[in-house]
Parts: sequence; C-alpha cells; structure tokens
Amino acid sequence: MEHILSIKNLDYTYKTGREDVRALDALNLGICRGEIFGFIGPNGAGKTTTIKLILNILPIQSGKIEILGEDSSKPKTRIKVGYMPESAVYSQYLTPHELLYMYGRIFGIQRSLLKQRIPELLALVGLEKEASRLIGTFSKGMMQKVSFAQSLINEPSVLILDEPTSGLDPVLRKKMREIILSLRDAGKTIFFSSHELSEVELISDKIGVLNKGRLLATGPIKNFMGNKDDGLSLENYFLNLIEEK
Amino acid sequence: MTAICPIVSATIKEFIRRKDFYVFLILLCVLLAISSMQNFFHIENISRYVRDVGYSLTMFFSFFIAVTFSAGQLPREIENKTVYPLLAKPISRRMVLFSQFCASAAVSVMSFLLFFIAFMVFDIIKTGSLNPLLFVQAAIFGTLFLCMVCAFVIFLSTFMTVAANITISILTYLFITGFSDSLRDFSIYAKGPAAICSEIIYYLIPHFDFFNMRVRITHEWGALPFWVVASVGAYTFTYCFFLLYFAGVIFRRKKL
Repeated sequence: MEHILSIKNLDYTYKTGREDVRALDALNLGICRGEIFGFIGPNGAGKTTTIKLILNILPIQSGKIEILGEDSSKPKTRIKVGYMPESAVYSQYLTPHELLYMYGRIFGIQRSLLKQRIPELLALVGLEKEASRLIGTFSKGMMQKVSFAQSLINEPSVLILDEPTSGLDPVLRKKMREIILSLRDAGKTIFFSSHELSEVELISDKIGVLNKGRLLATGPIKNFMGNKDDGLSLENYFLNLIEEK
Repeated sequence: MTAICPIVSATIKEFIRRKDFYVFLILLCVLLAISSMQNFFHIENISRYVRDVGYSLTMFFSFFIAVTFSAGQLPREIENKTVYPLLAKPISRRMVLFSQFCASAAVSVMSFLLFFIAFMVFDIIKTGSLNPLLFVQAAIFGTLFLCMVCAFVIFLSTFMTVAANITISILTYLFITGFSDSLRDFSIYAKGPAAICSEIIYYLIPHFDFFNMRVRITHEWGALPFWVVASVGAYTFTYCFFLLYFAGVIFRRKKL
C-alpha cells in the first residue's frame, strides 16, 4: 500500500549546553492512506519531537520524511496537512470565525469558500453558536475544539493531532472520537499521539510504541491486544513492553 | 504575501479590541487639552510649548506602543504554542517573522497617525495655523521611525525575553536620542582605537534621532528638502532590511 507519510532513519539530538540528549534514534515509520495511526509512548519518549520534525518545526538532522511523496521540509508540502497542537492558547481577542478565516487565508483559500467552510467546521465541532464570541471567554474544551477546527480548515489529506483529547471531558472525548473516525471514513490519514491508551485502543487502526526515542513495536492494533478472555489490554501490553526494554 | 495580509489584519483586530491604545489616546487628549488651556507665566508664543509637548507626547506614546506590542509578538506566539499551527501551514519561518514585523508596524503606525491627528487638531485650535508640508513630513518621519523601532524590537525578540527587550529598547532609544551627537563629536576628536570604536558604534547604532522633527515643528522652520526625506527613507529601509534579515537567521535556528 502507498505510504502517505513515510519516515526513514530519523535521528534527532537536542544539543544542550552540558550534554546532548538523543530524542530519536533511527525511527522508521510508514502510514498508509485512510489509516488512523496511534503514536504512543511515555513522557519524553520523542512523540512531540517526531511531530515537530514531520511539520518542519524542528530541522531534520538526519533521515528523511515524506508527506504525500514530497519532502516535508518544503512549505508547499504542508498545503495538504492539518495540525492540531497540544493545548495551544489562541488569541483571546479573536473570535473562532476570525481565527479560522486567518488560517484559511494563509493557505490561500478563497474568501467565498471560507465563508461556506468556516460555519460547517464550527458546526462539526459544536461551536456554531459561539462563532462570534471572543476566544478569551472559552473553556479549555472549547479551545481544543477551536484547535481541532483550525486543523481542518484546508481539508487536509493528512491530519496530525498531538494529544487531541487531553483535558477533555468524557462527552467531548466521545465527540472527538466520532469526528476522527468520520474523517478516516472520508479517506483522511490521521497520525495522532496520545497518553490515553484507552483512546488509542478505540480508534486506531495501527499503532507505534516509542520509548526513549526508539520505536519498540509497530503494527495493526489487533496484534497488540489479546482476546477478551486473556484480559490483555493495550495498557498491559504497553507497560510490559516499556518495562522489558 | 497571501500569508502576511491575514496575519496583519488579525493583529489589527486584536489591537483594536485591547484597551492599551485607548488609554494612551485619552491620556494624550487630556494632556494636550490641559497644556492648551494654560498660559504659563504669561509667556508669549506659548503655542510653541504646546507644540513641543504635543509632538513629544505623540512620539513617546507611539514609541511605547511599538516597543511593548512588538516585544510581545513572537514570545507570546511561542508561549501560547500558536507558533506551531502557524509554522505547520505552508509558510516559512522567515515569512512568519516578516508578518510579525508588518503587523507590529501597522499597529504602531495606525496609533501614531491617530495620535498625530489629535495633536494637529489641538495645534490648529491653539495657533490657528499649520504648515501642511511640514506636518506631512513629520508624519512620514514618524512612520519611518516606528518601522525602524518595530524592526529593532522584533530582532531583539528572537533571542531576548519580553522584559529584557523592552528595557534594552527604551535604553537604546534614550541613549541614541541623548548622546548620539556627543558620540559623533567624540569620534571626531578622539584618536587611535577609541576613535575607531566610537566611529563604528556611531555608524552601527540605529539613529532614532534622524526622525526627530520636534525642533523644526516647534519653531515652525520650513519643510525639509525632498532629498533629505528620501535619504532618511532609504536609511530606514536598509536598516530594517538588515535587522529583519539577521532576525530571520536567528529565528530559523531557534529551537521551538
């Protein structure tokens, strides 16, 4: 199958004053079209570093990343990529409509198209009634919805989500899961990192387990979970794997 | 350019909704009104002092808005993590920085022009006359001055904290407006390494003093020749270009 997102031999070292910290060590990943890929690992495993490298927020030191067959370091490659950062705080003096409009215009989307798309997106995330309210008055959950909506403004083929459900209540989590699944059904490729293993279990098609910058395991989610009688959950598997290594 | 316009327009909206600008505008009007109504010690030509105070306040308030606003632009984006979704768009770091500069300059110039209009209104009321060309030149110089201040502050913001940036910018401004002539004199009369050092410093520092039209406006001297305005414009463009170029180099290497 064609790899929409491909990472080859990716290394990354944070050069601090005293000692270098190796954040990624020869990471190889391939994510296919229409797949939800859950990227899991403990704190400091290198998940966010990987995402930053994919989006060229950090410069690639060694290795190669391709998105839709193009070098990820070129700005034009990101035209078909959507990104939701972990707990970003958007300008409190703008409304969600204005914020989405700004991001849409950065992508070069026409005004007439944005006028149509923004209300649709706000309705999708359940913010249609708050379209004209200042973001400064929003709760954390609503901010996450805004963040999610902005990641979809360009109708991306590849969606990268960093801890999309962190800080959300169960109702919002369920809603977010439903949206992610519907996007997958619409043919989008989704790469998301999470600490919430139960979330990963519920929506991922494939997962990758990262620890101390090394990919410990990757494959279809069903390979990591026994049948219900075993009582083996993804969490048990994950803990066993981390402790083993 | 498609990326710059939406960022600038969103920043202007943000600025209009913040209270900072209105506080300065009201304060300026109150101070101008008070100084216009006074007749200190029955001095003749008191309008000159009103002009002096009015012009100085207009420039200082605009400078203050430019510094505080520009200094917070980039660090706020990084702290709030909104720089990540921005960089995840098809836009380079250099372009993000340039759009921050354009946004800061637009906001500062917009405030300056409104302050300047308020100052002109008070001046006309008080003196009943106005040299339009001189005031237009003062507005152009004010605009150029603020562009240079914004470029300078944006450059510092790539490697300094907000507080340090504001402090250094204000100190630099005070030093240059107060001591640049003395530095020039020193470089002329000094000898050896001191002369070379002072000469280098003199030509390297951003000359905020070039834009000061205070004396010319206060004493109603005539308008400047066109070539002076054009030279100052070219100086501003060159200085802004280098400041933004180096800011871009630093920002490209910055770990986010």
